[in-house]
Amino acid sequence: MNYGIDRTTAAIWIKFLNNRLLKYLRNGGAVLAAIGLVLVLLSPVIGEPISPGSLWWIEPVAYIGAGVFFLGAIAAFVSVQLASRRQEQNGGDRSWSRVTQDYFDTFAHDMGRPLRRILGKQREVRALLGETGEATPRMVTELLDEIEQQAPNFRLMIENVRVLVDLEDEHARPAVEPVDAAAVIRNIADRYLPIARERDLELVWWCEPAEFGLVYGDASALDHVVTNLVDNATKFAAEQIEIRLTRNDSHFLIRVWDDGLGIAESHLVHVFDRGWTPELSARREKQSSGLGLYIASSLSERCGGDLLVESKQSTGGDLNEHHAAFTLSLPLDNRPTAAR
Amino acid sequence: MTSKGISNGQKILIVDDEHMSDLMRSVLRRLETDGFRPIVVAPEGPHVGGDDYEAQTLFAMEEERPAAVLLDVRFGEYDTDRFKGLSILKKIVERDSSMPVLMFTQYAQGPYRDTAVMASLGASSSVDFIDKLASPEEVVLRLRRLIGTAPETIRIGSLFEIDAENAAVYVIEDGKRDLIREMQGMKLEILSELAAAYFRSEGELVPFSRLERFSEGDDSRASLRVRIRELKVSLGNAVSRDFGATELIINIRNRGYRLVPPVE
Repeated sequence: MNYGIDRTTAAIWIKFLNNRLLKYLRNGGAVLAAIGLVLVLLSPVIGEPISPGSLWWIEPVAYIGAGVFFLGAIAAFVSVQLASRRQEQNGGDRSWSRVTQDYFDTFAHDMGRPLRRILGKQREVRALLGETGEATPRMVTELLDEIEQQAPNFRLMIENVRVLVDLEDEHARPAVEPVDAAAVIRNIADRYLPIARERDLELVWWCEPAEFGLVYGDASALDHVVTNLVDNATKFAAEQIEIRLTRNDSHFLIRVWDDGLGIAESHLVHVFDRGWTPELSARREKQSSGLGLYIASSLSERCGGDLLVESKQSTGGDLNEHHAAFTLSLPLDNRPTAAR
Repeated sequence: MTSKGISNGQKILIVDDEHMSDLMRSVLRRLETDGFRPIVVAPEGPHVGGDDYEAQTLFAMEEERPAAVLLDVRFGEYDTDRFKGLSILKKIVERDSSMPVLMFTQYAQGPYRDTAVMASLGASSSVDFIDKLASPEEVVLRLRRLIGTAPETIRIGSLFEIDAENAAVYVIEDGKRDLIREMQGMKLEILSELAAAYFRSEGELVPFSRLERFSEGDDSRASLRVRIRELKVSLGNAVSRDFGATELIINIRNRGYRLVPPVE
């Protein structure tokens, strides 16, 4: 329903008026309206008694009272309207994101069902082939590996969409919990090791100091950003991928390095753009959605961190001198100062 | 994949209504291969629901005394059972707050991690989440880490075994262990450091900074290189082999060293 305040105007006003101001306006309006009403009601008493000759005396009080009443009533009404519109807008956003997440989870679960079946059958076939005691033809193993590798792809894709929905929600805040950063990196390395091996890549990781300790941040966001970076590296590395976890006084840093051909300087500014892929600049068909790095960058920003890219392309002289490195830096302690 | 350490038949309680699926079968098989004893919770009856799983899980915990629990989040298709796993988790932790629980879920990173159930868990409880699509190797790795017992021995491929407690390295031949007498002192310490990283995670590298204490002289890298060479020769002699630059202990360009199981 539109109560006479047009939507755009309301939206602008909502932005300018904060909750406290709206409350003052409402209360002030109500007081004014009450005073006005009292004046109108008391006008026969305050003014001269009504007589045909001196009607003028009663009217100023009545007129003023009525004016004050309407002014107050309008102020109160408008402030109440704006407040409710604001609440509707905030609440609406939140529930939209929540409802989408709920739908999405059900959808992801259902969509995962056939994949779980396929993956299960593939592992069953592998086990049966192993039981025969004969060597499995290389081609068959490769085919089975190919199916197996779709699982991490699918996991990342689903997670990317989920995070994308979550990023749309302005009111969502990153979680702050004690996180064993080394364990998060180790889990990612474990997940990508078989994939790297399959592609003849060497994946190594290490952390310094060896006992890295806990940081305060969002574990799932950390996992998600680094997963995207490692996934990206497996696509472009020539032989090697390195994940390094270090720290300074205020931040911890995760660098994902690969010895791939690198990124052209002119493209470096675009790597975090939504939908950008290297194929796009070469006018080839896109091999990926181009969402991974965009999400990684947006998510690290939300967590109070930074994601930087650095790359070197070979200049012809030394062919081994090319690489791409992404460095994620996040605060060691992302708790609000009061909670520390 | 190589077997790392022996799990001594530790019992793992499996709580998942899809325990008959191929996917779960592959996990069960992997657990058995690695020396665990999976115990499947499978309530019987015409209409088995989440509550039945809950009751039987708590019963099995008392009865079997498992080393860890592998628990699914979702039970059945009913909305009431949608997150039954979380309430089972809560009950498990109430009974035994130190019980390692690996949650088998597709919500590994989703918003449901932040539910009241998770918040109510104490900092001491060892609960971890893993995606249902994870490979059986990953599941076993995570379970092993969650249980957290350091192995008495670490096996490197099928050729060597390191007994950290007794400071000894053995060569394994036809199932028998023979002590490699040459392996002691600094060589043993370097090997133990490399083996520990390898046990934690196959891709873990030991950076130079952590190995510097084993080197001497001005050029610590060169000195370390010599020590590693000696180490590889000692191990190679024991199996009458010559381990090349890309075998057993490899140098990762200016970063450090990494142990890789030797190919037989």
